[in-house]
Amino acid sequence: MSQPVLSARGLGKVIKGRTILKDVCVEEHRGSVIGVIGRNGAGKTTLLDILLGFSPPTSGESKVFGHDSLALPATVKGRIGFVPQQDELIPMITGAQHLALHSSLHPRWNGDLVDRLARAWEVPLDRPVQVLSVGERQKLSSLLALGHDPELLVLDEPAASLDPLARRRFLQELLEISSDRTRTVLFSTHIVSDLERVADRIWILREGALAWSGELDTLKESVVRLQVRARRALPPGLALPHALTQQVRETWASALVSQWSPGEVQSLRDSLDAEVEVQNLGLEDLFVELHA
Amino acid sequence: MESAPTLPARFFVLQPASGVPIYRQLVDQVQRMVASGQLAPGTALPSVREVAELHSVNPMTISKAYALLEGEGVLQRNRGKAMTVAAGRRSQGTLAQRLRQLEPQVDALVLAARQLELDASDLAEVLRRKMGGKS
Repeated sequence: MSQPVLSARGLGKVIKGRTILKDVCVEEHRGSVIGVIGRNGAGKTTLLDILLGFSPPTSGESKVFGHDSLALPATVKGRIGFVPQQDELIPMITGAQHLALHSSLHPRWNGDLVDRLARAWEVPLDRPVQVLSVGERQKLSSLLALGHDPELLVLDEPAASLDPLARRRFLQELLEISSDRTRTVLFSTHIVSDLERVADRIWILREGALAWSGELDTLKESVVRLQVRARRALPPGLALPHALTQQVRETWASALVSQWSPGEVQSLRDSLDAEVEVQNLGLEDLFVELHA
Repeated sequence: MESAPTLPARFFVLQPASGVPIYRQLVDQVQRMVASGQLAPGTALPSVREVAELHSVNPMTISKAYALLEGEGVLQRNRGKAMTVAAGRRSQGTLAQRLRQLEPQVDALVLAARQLELDASDLAEVLRRKMGGKS
């Protein structure tokens, strides 16, 4: 298998005695669109910062294109594009001036792509940044991160301030950018519906730990809710296989189970002498259930 | 070769927020339409890119669905051209197979009917009416 674009082992971060991240292990390969979700304060921004080498971990290590995050050579940095949650634009100068500045710093600047995106996203380039809305600033900072054709694009809450239409256009471009399968996109979000459209892999962060990581399709197919209605009272010690959460009350049981395969339903019906309904859950429900 | 009719991309109903993965929704829809004869052999499918763009979803999930359908012999890949519905599929969708595809929906219906204390004859009556009185 090819070298991972991103990898982390046992990554932890403690700030002033408070654990922000614990034991995060990931490995991602070229061509994936990875979505990171978690509640506020779950550690999303800290994780992205550590992966990119902006801040050192307290324990463990991470690599980008095979190089330690804390010692990325300039050539590797040139292959990364990053859009921080708080933009780092200069208030007094215009978007066009920002673009000119960035293009002069990058030998491989893709002016055509930038022009096309600036039009598609309706970014006002002729006004100083200080008069732009938050959404416009966000789009401008994404443009700046994309101009040098990065192989790894990391975006921290990129679409949070965009209206639904602008968000849709923005996501379409992200997909377009990743569609040749040579680039990798990693983005964090609270907006579960965005993630369901574009991500093929997800990381779910819960209180600093990785609650789940892998393919979104696998998550939706293998973690399901079972509703059980038995003809007689269910045994008090009933343990449904691979239950993450479970409630049993007389003839009724409800459980969230992992590692589910559709073939199991008949044997469960027989063994419990019960109606068993299998509910596939959307990501929003899964997210809530995994935090229950 | 004469050009085959093409299914428009908006014919697919994709719901990203559903618990059923997007590729699975697409596979099920194509299988149903082929089994019922709505999609005749030779009909061209919209390109991966077209479906992905129209629905703003990851193209990979669409190619995954098409690849699965090809593996099952439902679709046929044509060098440099759109994928088409493979020949002779209709006859392979036996009654039992087609009924099996409906099982999740039937399970949900049966459950709802039980909760409402309706029995099989009540349901049959409604189904007969909705489906046009064929008995």
